[in-house]
Amino acid sequence: MRFRSVLSVLGFILVVVGILMSLVLPVSLYYGGSDAYALLLSALLMIVVGLLVWFFNKKQSKELGVREGFTIVGLGWVVASLFGCLPFVLSGAIPDFTDAYFETISGFTTTGATILTDIEVLPHGLLFWRSLTQWIGGLGIILLSIAILPALGVGGMQLFQAEVPGISVEKLTPRIIQTARILWMVYVLLTVVQMVLLTAGGMTLFDATCHSFTTVSTGGFSTKNASIAHYQSAYIEQVIIVFMFLAGTSFALHYRALRGELRGYSRDDEFTFYAILVVLASLIIFLGIPIESGESLGKTVQAAVFQTVSIITTTGFVTADYELWYPAAQWILLMLMFAGACTGSTAGGIKLVRILVLLKNAVNQLKMLIHPRAILPVRHNGKSLEQEIIVDVLTYFVLFVLIFVVSTLVMTTLGMDIVSSAGAVAASLGNIGPGLGSVGAVDNYAHVPLIGKWVLMFCMLTGRLEIFTIIVLFTPTFWKR
Amino acid sequence: MNAKQVVGVLGLLVVAVGVAMLTAVPVSLIFDESDVGPILISSSITIIVGITFAVAGRTDRSSIRLREGFAIVTFAWIVIPLFGSLPYLLSNSIPSFTDAYFESVSGFTTTGASIVNNIEALPHGILYWRSLTHWLGGMGIVVLYLAILPMIGFGAVHLFKAEVSGMSKDKLTPRVVDTARILWGVYALLTVSEMGFLMAGGMPWFDSLCHSFGTVATGGFSTKNSSIGFYQSPYIETVVTMFMLLAATNFSLHYAALRGRFRDYFHNEELRFFLGAYVVVVVAVTLSTVGESFGGDIVSAFRYSAFNVASIMSCTGYATSDFAIWAPAAQLFLFVVMFPGGCSGSTAGGLKMVRVYLLIKSVSSAVRRLLHRRAVVHMRLDGKIVDDDILVKVGAFVLFYLGFFVVASLVLLETGLDPVSALTSTATCLAGIGPGLGSVGPASNYSHLPIVAKWVLDVCMVVGRLELFTAIVLLSPAFWRS
Repeated sequence: MRFRSVLSVLGFILVVVGILMSLVLPVSLYYGGSDAYALLLSALLMIVVGLLVWFFNKKQSKELGVREGFTIVGLGWVVASLFGCLPFVLSGAIPDFTDAYFETISGFTTTGATILTDIEVLPHGLLFWRSLTQWIGGLGIILLSIAILPALGVGGMQLFQAEVPGISVEKLTPRIIQTARILWMVYVLLTVVQMVLLTAGGMTLFDATCHSFTTVSTGGFSTKNASIAHYQSAYIEQVIIVFMFLAGTSFALHYRALRGELRGYSRDDEFTFYAILVVLASLIIFLGIPIESGESLGKTVQAAVFQTVSIITTTGFVTADYELWYPAAQWILLMLMFAGACTGSTAGGIKLVRILVLLKNAVNQLKMLIHPRAILPVRHNGKSLEQEIIVDVLTYFVLFVLIFVVSTLVMTTLGMDIVSSAGAVAASLGNIGPGLGSVGAVDNYAHVPLIGKWVLMFCMLTGRLEIFTIIVLFTPTFWKR
Repeated sequence: MNAKQVVGVLGLLVVAVGVAMLTAVPVSLIFDESDVGPILISSSITIIVGITFAVAGRTDRSSIRLREGFAIVTFAWIVIPLFGSLPYLLSNSIPSFTDAYFESVSGFTTTGASIVNNIEALPHGILYWRSLTHWLGGMGIVVLYLAILPMIGFGAVHLFKAEVSGMSKDKLTPRVVDTARILWGVYALLTVSEMGFLMAGGMPWFDSLCHSFGTVATGGFSTKNSSIGFYQSPYIETVVTMFMLLAATNFSLHYAALRGRFRDYFHNEELRFFLGAYVVVVVAVTLSTVGESFGGDIVSAFRYSAFNVASIMSCTGYATSDFAIWAPAAQLFLFVVMFPGGCSGSTAGGLKMVRVYLLIKSVSSAVRRLLHRRAVVHMRLDGKIVDDDILVKVGAFVLFYLGFFVVASLVLLETGLDPVSALTSTATCLAGIGPGLGSVGPASNYSHLPIVAKWVLDVCMVVGRLELFTAIVLLSPAFWRS
């Protein structure tokens, strides 16, 4: 392991995040600047530390191997969050370190679980930073899932064919920078368009910016206590539904669409599955919403669609307290928390392509049972998959479920009730945000026991970084020699 | 599809069940109760219908092929409980057909979920029949597992070498009869020795017999309302625990042990994993219940955890304490262990330990593969290499199992059941355990469930018992084509 190469990259990441943080300063000053001092200090600290670390290690070779790749990805999120929580602590907005770190991890991993009981009292600078963490995190994820993880060979990520300028499978080469640039463009474009549309619907520019940041990154932090329900506007909800859905779609498909290949969407197995699943789940959830007198049918349909899309894309915005719905609807929501949306998007969860491959394999096995001598390969986007990839996907699925089960057991042991524990872990591991029970749609994570918060942070990170990236760091094999 | 052959074999099986039902007559006579007539009539009907079927479908039985095999196995588990429910209906012990069929399916699939509110009020003949359905079902499963499923070639059964007299891969040959005979021998031996131990502990002979049937088949029907908890005897609990664990162990290991190869127990990775998991869960449940549920009394906490965890992990379903009111953490542990089940080749249900074990193992080899891109990483089970082909099969099985659980739970939730009861009753019926948590816990039963829910659970029990694929394959169009 070349630690110094790792350090130099980490230093570089810190500088970038620090510079982004300093962009919050004008916002803060414009709104009175009670938090300007905390933000300035944190940004400076971040940039200085980053520069120092980078400077003292920059002479190392740029060749990064698999191990270095894993370490950078894993530590990058931990370290960035460590500095990212400084503004909350220094300004006194979130005095407790665990809470501040929780909020920041939840931000950078685009989870959207909050420990704030009253969001609206936060100064505007911090609110902006909170949303910006998700936007930065989302950007990181896109880069990671399209450019870096396939190269590292994580649990079936090979399935994802970016087809943006070539990706070398062996090492992290400069070409990744090209891929990254293109994807950032798509990302920025989506954000800006949504901002314009939201402002047109009567949202203030500040709110529109923050909500666009957290929609496109499928984060889910809002500037309002009641989340999107605050606006009581069908138009705003519709805009957000569309953009959540787009953010849950592979960004490579968007890129191709921008180049005129609109049919790329319908030709992609995963996208087709995603679209069907959204319609199907919305329908079941719609049937699970108790009809109140005076409520129009259209409104109920919209509530069902909004919540389905919000959960499956792992965003976590809410327009209704879904815990008042029938248990069947909540059961489907919980399942969607596991599913997640498409690979190569900003969404979390298991990812639909994996589920699709496992389903296809199951059906195949059934056929092979009837025709024992037939050899039926699993096909994805027209290509037949090797068994090795199916096994990779399977182990990913197993690990995801195992981490869910173990973490939920830990949470109940800490004294939380079963529904809240399962909901909190599923919502953290899938990077959704609001869970079920006492951490549901209208609640927050402030009351979770201290150790529980750290467990959930671990879940958010593991879930965000495609599980193996983090788990690998805890294996003896990784550190050998 | 050779429908005639299927009918013929089913007829023979029905006759066998009818004859077994006759053995309830002497029991009923001994206790001199009102159920002699109904039992006699039921078994007559069963035998007559069975003979009719057998005659109507008489054909060359030596060459049962794959498709017919699937059809026979699946229909057997649907049709036999139909006849099995006759004694309940005719004796008016369980007047509703849905309920009687549920009780009968639960019996034959060795689940042990009951809809009887007051078990002790049932006449002895009926009680005996209820436990006997477990025993017959368990016997059927052992044969299915070790003799028939390996030929069909699916998943876990494929993994262990039965090592009883050789098995042909293509057809159900007479050799299967040899295998079956040996396994029944082991099965009967276990039953008789448990009965002896229980009687030595002061249990009346009738209760001992019924409980031995229920234990060795990992069924869980008791003759008492409060199950094994009725006896309040640490000795009896220990005996039952031991036999539950033995019944959840691969029967071919017992056979090897009988031939003097005791070391096979220790060399079997699945069994080691099963027992390891058992110890871990008992410790965890003991620790999480000791304060909240047993007032600091660690001895009781251990005693009740050891029994009830063994009962759930072996998919039996006896209870000595109402674990539905234990601390939430303990309940969650119990819920989680409702899924893996016991070892393959035993009478236990669930996913089967070997599958869970292989999947967990595959995670570690995936990590190694991730770090050493060019290394060839082999996964081994009992010293033999497990190739990707098997893993992929196991994955398909687990996905179907979980998928079935998710959908069945959804339907149960739609019937208005609360989440805890809905989820646990599905999990428990799929794995063949019996009591769940919430309103279907050990202190309550399934009688209050809506009719639709009972039928869904019937399906779960049968499908779970048949290792899913055997049943699901019948629903696929490809099966019926050509």
